Amino acid sequence: MLAYMIRIALLSLRRNPVLSTLLIAAIALGVAVSTAFVTVFYICSGNPIPSKSDRLFYVEMDSWDPNRPYSRRRPEMPPEQITYRDMQGIMASDIPTYQSGMFVASLTVHPPEAEQKPYRERVRMCFADFFPMFEVPFTYGGGWGRDSDRGPDPVVVIDAATNDRLFGGGDSVGKTIRIEDRPFTVTGVLAPWRPSPRFYDTHSGASGVPEGIFMPFEFVRVFEVETAGNLLIWTDLDDSAGFDELAASEAIWIQMWVQLDTAEQLQAYSDFLEAYVMEQKKLGRFGRPLNNRLLNVMQWLDDQEVVPEEATGMLVISLLFLLVCAVNLIGILLGKFLARAPEVGVRRALGASRTSVFLQHIVECEVVGIIGGAIGLGLSALCLGQINRLLDNSGQFGLDLVMVAAGIGLSLVAGLVAGLYPAWRICRLAPAIHLKLQ
Amino acid sequence: MELGPIFRALMHNPTRFWLITVEVALTLAIVVNCVAIIQDRRELLTRPSGLDEPNLVVVTTRPFTDEFADDSFIDTVRDEDLRQLRALPGVRAVAAIDYPPLAGGGNITDLAAPGDEGDSHPAPYFVVGLGALETLGVELVAGRDHIEADLRPGDDEPENLILTQALADRLYPDGDALGNTVVDTDTHEVFGNIVGIIREMHNAWPRSSIAGLAMLRPGPAYDQREIRYMVRTEPGAIDAVFNQLEPTVLAVNTDRIVTVSSLADYKRKYFDDEAVLVKVLTVLAALLIGVTALGIIGLTSFSVTQRTREIGTRRALGATRSSVLGYFVIEIWVITGIGLALGALLTYALNYALAHLAGAPSISWPLIASGIALLWVIGLVSALAPAFRATLVPPVVTTRTV
Repeated sequence: MLAYMIRIALLSLRRNPVLSTLLIAAIALGVAVSTAFVTVFYICSGNPIPSKSDRLFYVEMDSWDPNRPYSRRRPEMPPEQITYRDMQGIMASDIPTYQSGMFVASLTVHPPEAEQKPYRERVRMCFADFFPMFEVPFTYGGGWGRDSDRGPDPVVVIDAATNDRLFGGGDSVGKTIRIEDRPFTVTGVLAPWRPSPRFYDTHSGASGVPEGIFMPFEFVRVFEVETAGNLLIWTDLDDSAGFDELAASEAIWIQMWVQLDTAEQLQAYSDFLEAYVMEQKKLGRFGRPLNNRLLNVMQWLDDQEVVPEEATGMLVISLLFLLVCAVNLIGILLGKFLARAPEVGVRRALGASRTSVFLQHIVECEVVGIIGGAIGLGLSALCLGQINRLLDNSGQFGLDLVMVAAGIGLSLVAGLVAGLYPAWRICRLAPAIHLKLQ
Repeated sequence: MELGPIFRALMHNPTRFWLITVEVALTLAIVVNCVAIIQDRRELLTRPSGLDEPNLVVVTTRPFTDEFADDSFIDTVRDEDLRQLRALPGVRAVAAIDYPPLAGGGNITDLAAPGDEGDSHPAPYFVVGLGALETLGVELVAGRDHIEADLRPGDDEPENLILTQALADRLYPDGDALGNTVVDTDTHEVFGNIVGIIREMHNAWPRSSIAGLAMLRPGPAYDQREIRYMVRTEPGAIDAVFNQLEPTVLAVNTDRIVTVSSLADYKRKYFDDEAVLVKVLTVLAALLIGVTALGIIGLTSFSVTQRTREIGTRRALGATRSSVLGYFVIEIWVITGIGLALGALLTYALNYALAHLAGAPSISWPLIASGIALLWVIGLVSALAPAFRATLVPPVVTTRTV
């Protein structure tokens, strides 16, 4: 029966190609726009690491100025990064399954080929646990061992783009890169990895891509490198201060993540943090009230308000746009169906029930919906490509299976919303009057 | 032409009435809100920064050899760079600067007037070498530019600072900033003397509400051995000068990574999101108006087709063509009018929602009024073609079918 209805629907669409094109175009346009911006919102507000987002915690402690809160707008909030000395202090704990302090630096890379010019690359300074903790995928090799953190050993992990640039791709594990003034050995090459939002460091832009190179944190001492991210300080620090002064200061510039798998671990770790802060208070630091926070990934993203206002606004506007397209469809369908009244009169006179007439027309609307939706999905992929190009965001926005399903769902709903009233009108027509007019 | 019959006829078959009303109302609400956001962002993108934006180029040099660990070596190279860059034809002025303005990255400190330390103000600053005012193209309204002696203050001697009028007014609301000092609210020590005031200059965050607060500190202007120059070209000479900048500084010392980028490019990158939003919303608003116009055309033609016999009857009874045209035009005028009245309410409702969800700007009356005028005209124009077709219905159709 359904197959028959679909055949009739297709025949009816073929009978008036101009009108059918208009119908399909209206749905396609609405679905293209709405799916594109639903996708943008979905990706901006998505869970970047669903397998363990509730077990990864961002660590915050209130080491800020005793005389004023870190944020005037949200005085209850602790600082969003930690100091170097506190990172060292809390990383002594063996409670977390994995843990890593981290920051982004900008370092000079010397390509192996002499004719290639040196260039600056963003480098994530982190600990060995970074890779298993964030389930970073590798094409070749892997991260470095915890032993290499201590040395620190001159080892690096590079992403695929850096591998292409320096070595022309391929398995580069064991090859050497010169960074600043010393050689580093590659231990792993990343597979494509683009957590979105880039949750682990929201300060350097949540829509950004991961860094090109990852290096053991303690090279911060060797290179005396400053963060290329955000550094805030409430005490006085001379502009010419060296790394040791910075490390001993109250400057906050490090993001700290831990993985706590069980409730006991979480409890033990928050007790540990509390004890640590109390200990520091005895040393005259942490002049503010105790205010530690352990936020899991989604809580952290929520706290950081990473969803751009533009994404939310465009979501609302694009759904309303789809609604206008649907309202438009109602008018066109009404005209199309009522023009067919004599034919429906004949069918009704020959014994078709109201229900089957109604269903027939709904099926026709849904056929329009599906064709329009398919075209709309294609268009919305193009839209997203354009947005990616304009934003220069290395393809952050793209359709996945969920969004394709959402697009089809939107087109079916739009077809239904637009078709209900016209189909109801046509099935209510008395057959006799149209038979007379034949 | 009487409105009465038109109205009664509408109510007799209200579907078309409601469809157009809803469509027009939604369209008005969406389009006006889009335009409000577009205007708001465009205002942000185009507001004057006080800088000579079209003629400024930023040259960043990053040395990678150990010689540069020595400050005096850096100073020598920088002075030679400056000399060579200034000698280039088409270059009007060059100054060292630690961070480019309008690019989203830089430094801020908190300052206050002495004795008023509870009331601290953010002071985004740039460390600059000599000639910065001439290079940036900012206008000195009081006091003086930096001089050679400012670059090397004695120990514990406060710096000589140049502030924007906006920052000076915040610190000294009575307008007596010039010659006075400012205090660092973290250390409670005197931070510097205000020796000059410039009319306007945007800091590194032109999107923010404190975009106009900026301060120029005299100094060596390098951070982590990175030396940056701001180059101001003669008007129109930017393209000619642009490609010579990298070879010029590399000729002084080749052991450096040099990047050259116009200030306009930095600004464009910073305002990427706004620019994309403006483009997307413009396309959407245009599409929406198109869709609505098509909808009105479709519904009106449908109504003309349905009423062919009725029109024929009226014509047979003596109605002129123009009165048939008038009938349809007035009808669409009434329908869109009601739709737009509802739409005005809907516009505010949507604006309220968007303001809460997405920080949208509030809407002004003139904007709604022009939206209403635009859609009214579009409604009328869209209905004209089908209405004109109605005038072509010959009276004789009445005799064809019963």
